[in-house]
Amino acid sequence: MSDPRPTDAYFDAWRGGVIDTMLGVPATPEQRKAEHYSKFNAGILDKEAREKFTFPAQYMFKDVPDLGEIDDPIALLLAEMDRFNVSIGMLNVSTNPIAREAVVQHPDRFVASFNVDPNEGMESVRTLEAAVKELGVRSAQCFPAGLYPQVPINDKKMYPLYAKCVELDIPIFVNAGVPGPRVPMDCQNVAYIDEVCWFFPDLKFVMRHGAEPWTQLAMKLMLKWPNLYYSTSAFAPKHYPDDIVHYANTRGADKIMYAGYFPMGLSLERIFSEMPQVGFRDHVWPKFLRENAARLLKIA
Amino acid sequence: MTTNPAYDAAHAGGVIDTATGIPKSREEMFEFYEFIRNQTRDAESKAGEGGLEFPAGYMFKDPVHIEDEELGDPVEFLLGEMDRHGITKVIVNVDDGGHGARAVRDHPDRFAAGIGADPNQGMDAVRRIQRAADEFDLKSVSAFPAGLYPQVAVNDKKFYPIYAKCVELDVTFATTIGVPGPRIPFQPQEVAHLDEVCWFFPELRIVMRHGAEPWADLAVKLMLKWPNLYYSTTAFAPKYYPEAIVNYANTRGADKVMWSGYFPAGLTYDRIFAELPSVPFRDHVWPKFLRENAITAFKLDR
Repeated sequence: MSDPRPTDAYFDAWRGGVIDTMLGVPATPEQRKAEHYSKFNAGILDKEAREKFTFPAQYMFKDVPDLGEIDDPIALLLAEMDRFNVSIGMLNVSTNPIAREAVVQHPDRFVASFNVDPNEGMESVRTLEAAVKELGVRSAQCFPAGLYPQVPINDKKMYPLYAKCVELDIPIFVNAGVPGPRVPMDCQNVAYIDEVCWFFPDLKFVMRHGAEPWTQLAMKLMLKWPNLYYSTSAFAPKHYPDDIVHYANTRGADKIMYAGYFPMGLSLERIFSEMPQVGFRDHVWPKFLRENAARLLKIA
Repeated sequence: MTTNPAYDAAHAGGVIDTATGIPKSREEMFEFYEFIRNQTRDAESKAGEGGLEFPAGYMFKDPVHIEDEELGDPVEFLLGEMDRHGITKVIVNVDDGGHGARAVRDHPDRFAAGIGADPNQGMDAVRRIQRAADEFDLKSVSAFPAGLYPQVAVNDKKFYPIYAKCVELDVTFATTIGVPGPRIPFQPQEVAHLDEVCWFFPELRIVMRHGAEPWADLAVKLMLKWPNLYYSTTAFAPKYYPEAIVNYANTRGADKVMWSGYFPAGLTYDRIFAELPSVPFRDHVWPKFLRENAITAFKLDR
């Protein structure tokens, strides 16, 4: 059960600095729609989502951050991070030149992740390898339900990418569970992860975006597979699944790590105002907020 | 000299065999085939009796048998066979008991390096390929999908990391395809599976082995469609080459079809070279078939 009172342990851990494995470069909703979400439209068939939503999963989120006019997105991001003690954030640098600039200019504050698209075949394998070697990218990431066409987590098209991640010794962050955008869920079924962990025992696989409603299975699989992890991206702390909090408090303290969703869907303000109420046990907090991500991303 | 001058001229220019095994004694061969007997269910195959000492023996009139006392040094034995038949170069597996690696090291002009791959080993299979490529001038990664335990279809996801590694290393993949001789299921070797692999890995050079039967027509159609798909005549005595393949070599496929033998597994070079001149290839096909296509498909001149 959750303990509603913030603990000293939380604040001690928080003051020590947070690693956020899912941050984005601030942009206006219109920019975001034009640059990123527009490609979803190919797979979205319902009219409301297609025409009216600026953010494809907006029906789930109460206050999607509206940052107004943005002068200097990197400065804005750093200021937000400073406000909430986020010492290091992971940015997807695969297409966004500002994200690349942020990583180059502030190597002490940002680490880079790189988006892979299994539909591109060997081209994606090559760009990932080049990104790791040339840009110092520390992780791969993939959004199976957002691909067009969609690619299930255990699909053969993913296998060359998983193999490359093992070779490069980098983790891959993958959305798991029912996706927010109104596209089919099947490709992100948590059950598919079992086969991947079996075939690639050295692959460090990090679930993103909740794994709901299969959180019990997610827990069972994390127990079974040493290299399977969970990050809390896209979930406001008050909605963290009970199973996941329970698992972190029992055998999974080394497996669950914080990730936010700023500025895509959640403000850091909301996240860190709700965070102290999450019922983690004392020893979990430093692992959750920083250490698990640091180990996985090789941050000293 | 035969009665086929175009064949004679091509043969005199040298022949390449892309699928040779290091010769083994009769006993060693029997032992080697244990992996197939393990998967067969019929009593004859399981016992290796009734003409099935060689698991596909029911198909072959005179399988190769080398008695222990005539073998001597297997590499020298193979070189002797090659010289006798004008074979200038062969690909051997360097993971075959040490003799293959020695052959490639001692006679790099006569032997090129290949390695077998078992996708059931996961990333270890990929690592073995990488190590072989680091150590040798690796030309071929090969698989026998129906012979694996468990069997793995040629378009199965377990193969994909191996294909990706082949592309990365620019090494050719050779696979048995079509109904396998041993009495085990054929499904993993359906020719149709190759279509998807060629689509997803357009740079991967794939060489079909062991006939592609009874889907030789489909094999031709796919070779027409996919520039990097090839066919080699392994395990087929020349008089049994599928008509569809001979026609294709004579028309648009002169650059796609290459000779390969089946020594020492099932066919003697004596039989092959006695039958070869009677295959109705057109004149311009012969040098490509006996030598040039192997060089292209396996990048032997790189």
